[in-house]
Amino acid sequence: MATETAEPAVGAAQHLELEDRIRLLRAMLLMRGIEERAMSLYRQGKVPGSFYDGYGQEAVSAGPAFAMAPEDRLCILHRDLAAHLIRGVSTVRILAQYMGRETGITRGRDGNVHFGDPRLGCVGMVSMLPDMMLVATGMAMAFKLRGEQRCALTWFGDGSTSRGDFHEAMNWAGVQRLPVVFVLENNQYAYSTPLDKQFAVDPVQRAAAYGLTGVTVDGNDAEAMFEATRAARARALAGDGPTLIEAVTMRMHGHAAHDDMKYVPKEQVELWRKRDPVDRQDSRLRELGVDVAAVRAAVLAEIDAATEEALAAPMPSAGDATADVFATGEAVPLGDGQAPWSGFAGRGEVSS
Amino acid sequence: MSSSPTETRAPGATTLVDVTMPQMGVSVAEGTVVAWAKQVGDRVEADETVCEISTDKIDTEVPAPVSGVVAEILVGVDATVEVGVVLARIAVDSASGELPGGGGAAAPTPTAAPTPTAGPAPTAAPTPGAAPPPHVAPVSGAPAVNGASHRRYSPVVQRIAAEHGIDLSVVPGTGRGGRVRKQDVLALVEAAPEAPMHIESPYRPDPVPAGSGGQLSRMRRQIGAHMKRSLETSAHCTSWIEVDMTRVQSARARLGVTALPFVASAVIAALREHPQLNASLEGERYTQHAAVNLGIAVSLGEDGLIVPVIRAAHELSVEGLATRIRDLAKRARTRALTPDEVRGGTFTITNPGQYGTIMATPIINQPQVAILDLEAIVKRPVVVTDADGNDSIAIRAMTILGLSWDHRALDGALAAQFLASLKRGLESV
Amino acid sequence: MPTMTYLQAISSALRDELRADERVFVMGEDIGVFGGAFKVTDGLFEEFGPGRVMDTPLAESAIIGTAVGAAVVGMRPVCEMQFSDFISCGFDQLVNVAGKMNYRQGLAVPITVRLPSGGGFSGGPFHSQNPEAWFMHSPGIKVVAPSTAEDAKGLLHTAIHDPNPVCFMEHKHLYRRIKGDVPSGIYETPMTARVARAGSDLVVIAYGAMVHVALEATEDVDGASIEVLDLRSLVPLDSDAILDSVARCSKVVIMDEANATCAAGAQVAALIAEHGFEDLDGPVVRVATPDVPIPFSPPLEQAVLPSVERVREACRELLAY
Repeated sequence: MATETAEPAVGAAQHLELEDRIRLLRAMLLMRGIEERAMSLYRQGKVPGSFYDGYGQEAVSAGPAFAMAPEDRLCILHRDLAAHLIRGVSTVRILAQYMGRETGITRGRDGNVHFGDPRLGCVGMVSMLPDMMLVATGMAMAFKLRGEQRCALTWFGDGSTSRGDFHEAMNWAGVQRLPVVFVLENNQYAYSTPLDKQFAVDPVQRAAAYGLTGVTVDGNDAEAMFEATRAARARALAGDGPTLIEAVTMRMHGHAAHDDMKYVPKEQVELWRKRDPVDRQDSRLRELGVDVAAVRAAVLAEIDAATEEALAAPMPSAGDATADVFATGEAVPLGDGQAPWSGFAGRGEVSS
Repeated sequence: MSSSPTETRAPGATTLVDVTMPQMGVSVAEGTVVAWAKQVGDRVEADETVCEISTDKIDTEVPAPVSGVVAEILVGVDATVEVGVVLARIAVDSASGELPGGGGAAAPTPTAAPTPTAGPAPTAAPTPGAAPPPHVAPVSGAPAVNGASHRRYSPVVQRIAAEHGIDLSVVPGTGRGGRVRKQDVLALVEAAPEAPMHIESPYRPDPVPAGSGGQLSRMRRQIGAHMKRSLETSAHCTSWIEVDMTRVQSARARLGVTALPFVASAVIAALREHPQLNASLEGERYTQHAAVNLGIAVSLGEDGLIVPVIRAAHELSVEGLATRIRDLAKRARTRALTPDEVRGGTFTITNPGQYGTIMATPIINQPQVAILDLEAIVKRPVVVTDADGNDSIAIRAMTILGLSWDHRALDGALAAQFLASLKRGLESV
Repeated sequence: MPTMTYLQAISSALRDELRADERVFVMGEDIGVFGGAFKVTDGLFEEFGPGRVMDTPLAESAIIGTAVGAAVVGMRPVCEMQFSDFISCGFDQLVNVAGKMNYRQGLAVPITVRLPSGGGFSGGPFHSQNPEAWFMHSPGIKVVAPSTAEDAKGLLHTAIHDPNPVCFMEHKHLYRRIKGDVPSGIYETPMTARVARAGSDLVVIAYGAMVHVALEATEDVDGASIEVLDLRSLVPLDSDAILDSVARCSKVVIMDEANATCAAGAQVAALIAEHGFEDLDGPVVRVATPDVPIPFSPPLEQAVLPSVERVREACRELLAY
C-alpha cells in the first residue's frame, strides 16, 4: 500500500500490441481534434454556454479507459473526452451534444461534457466535484456485494480533493476494500488556484491514510497511464482494494474557453508543451514505423464528416422541456461499453 | 315604443345600460343616427336626449333610459342600423340607487338574459330602465353592486347563486359579521316554495334587503303600481260561470296531472271559437292574434308573481300542456326562465285554487283583453238532468270560472259566450 | 390481518422486500448489528447478513452517493438517514446527482431514502425536523409521508419498487403510538391522498403525524361535519383529491408540522387558490409550526408544534366565517 511511481516502459510493452498503441494515439487525436473543432464552433456561436477541454492531458483519460473491460463502469469528467470515445460514443453525437442538439447524448438536457451514455456504461457527471467519486464507489460496492469480477473507475481533479466527498469516498472505498480506481488528474490548477493553495499534502500521499494504494504516474504518457490502471484493476479484482492513481499533467488551456489563464507562468506552459502527450505517442509510433499521418488524416476526415452531420441535426423541441423528469416502468441499469484493448479479445460476446 | 334598455355588467362594479335603436312604428325596421347630443364622458340624465334619429316614418330623439355617464358610442352619424341595435351605453351611477319608476308600458318586456354563469362576474341584472324589469328572477348572484350594501360574497356563494338565479342581497347571512355562507345560499336553493298560483304581476321588481319594515317594499309598490295601471287602463268587468268538472277530475286522475292543463286546453279551443278574446289592446290599437301564447301565472311566494308564457299553446295536447306548465313553473321558481318565456302572451290563466277560494276578480295582464281565473274545485250537490229530462241530485265536482275582460275591446255577451264554450268543452272531456 | 405498529409495518416492508428481491439491500448508520437507532431494522442483520444489511461509515453524502452508484448497476438500495435532519449532509448527492440523473442522462436511479422525521419529544433543533419541502422543490425526487401503519408498509413497498429516488418520510412520533391492521405480504399503496374522515362543512388537509392531530381536533367541533384529508404523497401531490375535498367542503385548514414558510401546505394552498377558487367559502387557513428551529424544552416545543387546540380553534373560526 505504499506510494509508488509506476514504470511506464516495462509494464506497457508487456501488455500492449501495436494495434493497441495506435488505438491510443487515435483516441487522443480524436479527442484533441473534436475539442479543437468544438472550440471553433464555440467561437462561431454554435456551442451555447461554456466550453471546457482537456488539451494537453489527453493521455489521462485515454490510458485508463483503455484498460476498462466492457462490464466495468466509468464516471467520466469534463477533460476526459477520450474515455467516451474509447467506450464507443460516436464523434457526431459528441459534437451534437456540445451544440445542444436533439441528437446529442443528453438531447439538450445538459451541456458540454456533462454526459455519459448509459448504454455504454458511462455515468454523466454533475458540476459538484468530486460527487462522482461516491457514485463510482457505490458501483464498486455493488460489484463486491454481488461477488462480481468488475471494477469502477472515476476521474477527478486536484481541486476537488479539498471537498468532503473526496474524503468520504476514499474512506468508504478503503474501509470496504472496494474494487474502484480513482484517477486524480493533477493538472496543476483548479481554475486559477494552484496546488500550493489547494492542499498542504499531495493527495496521493493520503492514499495510505485511507488504506488505499497510491501511485503517481506521468499523466502525459498514455501507455504509462494504461499500465497503471491495468494494474490497479487487477489489484481491485484480486480483492486488494482501491487504488488512487495520481496522473501528473498540465492543463494547457484555460479552465474554460472564457479563461485566458494569465495566472499561469509562461515557463510552466513551455515546459509542459515539450511533454505533450499526443506528440509523445506520435513519436513513439513513428519510431515503430507506423504511418501516423494516415491515422491523423483518417481522424480529421471523421471529424469533418461528423461536424457536417452534427450541424444539420435538429435542436430539441420546446415541448420536450418538461418531459422525463421521472423514470417510468423498470429502471434500466448501465449497459456494457466497448473495450478495444487486445487484452479483452477472445472473452466472448460483449454483453450490452 | 321607447328603447328597451338592456344591461351588461362589466367585471367590477359599473353597470352599463344600452341605448338601442327604437322601433318607431310596427313596420319600421331600421333607423339612421342623425346627430349625437352627447359624447363619451358626458353626463346625461334619464329622459334627456342622447341622439337624434331618422326613420321612414318619423324623425325623433332617443332619450337616455337612465342617468349616468355616456360610456360608449357605438354607431356613428349617418350610420343606418336595424331596430334594437345598441347605439350607445351609459354607465349608471351606482349611487343613483332607485331605478326610475315604471314607464307605463304594460308589455312585459324582459331585458337582460338571465343566463346563469359559473364565474363570479354575472351577466344578468335587473334593468334600471324605463320599463319595469321583467319576469326574470332577481339576478344571478353578483357582488351587490349597489352603493347600499357593501357585502362581499365568496366565490362559491357567487357561483351557487348564479347557477340558481338567486339574488344574494336577500339571502340572510349567518357567517361572521352577517356574511352569507355557502349553507345560507344552499338553504334557499333547497327550499323551493310550493306556492299556489295567485294573481300574477308581469313585473319582476328589484327585491330590497330585509329590514326595510314599516313601508311597503319596493316589490309590493311595483306590483301595486302595475295593478293600478291595469285597472286604470282597461274597463274591467268580470263574468262567472259554473262548470261541472267531474269528467275533468277523472280524466286528470288517469293522466296524473292537475285540472289546469285541461282548462288550458279548453281555453284554447274556446279562443278558436271566439278569437276576439285572444287579442291585445294598446291605447287604441287592437290586435287579434292567430297564435295562442298562453300565460300561466306562477306565484313566487314572497318574491312576487310571474307569468311564463306557453308559446303556440294551440299546438299542444293536454299532456303537452301539462308538461310545459310543469316545466315553466319549476323554472319560474328557480329563476331560470328566458326572456322569451315571459313575453308575448295573448291570454292568461290564473289558478290559485289550492286554498279553497271559489271566486275572484282577476286583473287583466296588460295589454291582453281578458284573463281567466280557475279557483277551487269543490264537491257540491247539484241538480242533474238525465237524457229523459228527469232531475236528480248528484254529487259533482264543481268550479266557478271567472273571466275578467276589457269592456273597451268586447261586450258582456261575447264574454259570456266564451265562458259557455269553455264550459261545454270542459264538461265534455 | 395482523395488527402492528407503524414501526413494525416499516420493518415488515423491509423484511418482505429483502426476502423477495435480491437486488434490495438496506444501508445506514448503526442499522445492522445494532438494529438501528429506533430498532426499525432489528433482526434484519441476523436474517440477511452484512451483504444485505450494511453498517456504513458516518457519511451521509456517501450513503446517498454510493446508493446512486449501486442503483445504476442494478441494485435497489434503501438508505436510512438516522434522523431526517442529517439529510442536509447528503443534500448535494440527493438533489444534484440522484434527482437530476434521469432527466439529464436518461439513467434511472431507483433509490429509497428513509427519513425518520418530526418532533414532539424534546429532540431539539437537529433531531426534530420535517425537511420534505426541500425535496418537493427538487425536480426528480418523489416524496411520500404515511400516517398509518398500513400506509407505512404499502408506501415503502411502492417507494422501493419505484424507479426514481423516493424520500420516505417516516414520522418518529408515530413509530410506536400508531397501530393498525396491516395486510401481510407485499402490497403497494398508491401515491395518492386518502380521506381519513369524510365531511362536508370544512376539510383539514394534513399528512404524517398531523393527520392524527387533525382527527382528534375535529372529532366534535360544535357538531360540524369536518373532513380530514391525509395527503400521503407530497410528490406527486394528489391535486384531484385536494380539489374534490375543497369542492365539497369549501372551507380549508391546512396543517404542517414543518416550518410554515414554503412547507408542503403552502404548495397545497397555492394549488387551491388557483384551481379551487370558485369552491371557496372562506380564506385558506394554515396551521403550521412557525419559522423557528424546533426548541428543546417541552413548553417551548409544545408552543410551536401545531396542537389539537390550535387546529380546533382554527376550524371553529373558519366554520363561523
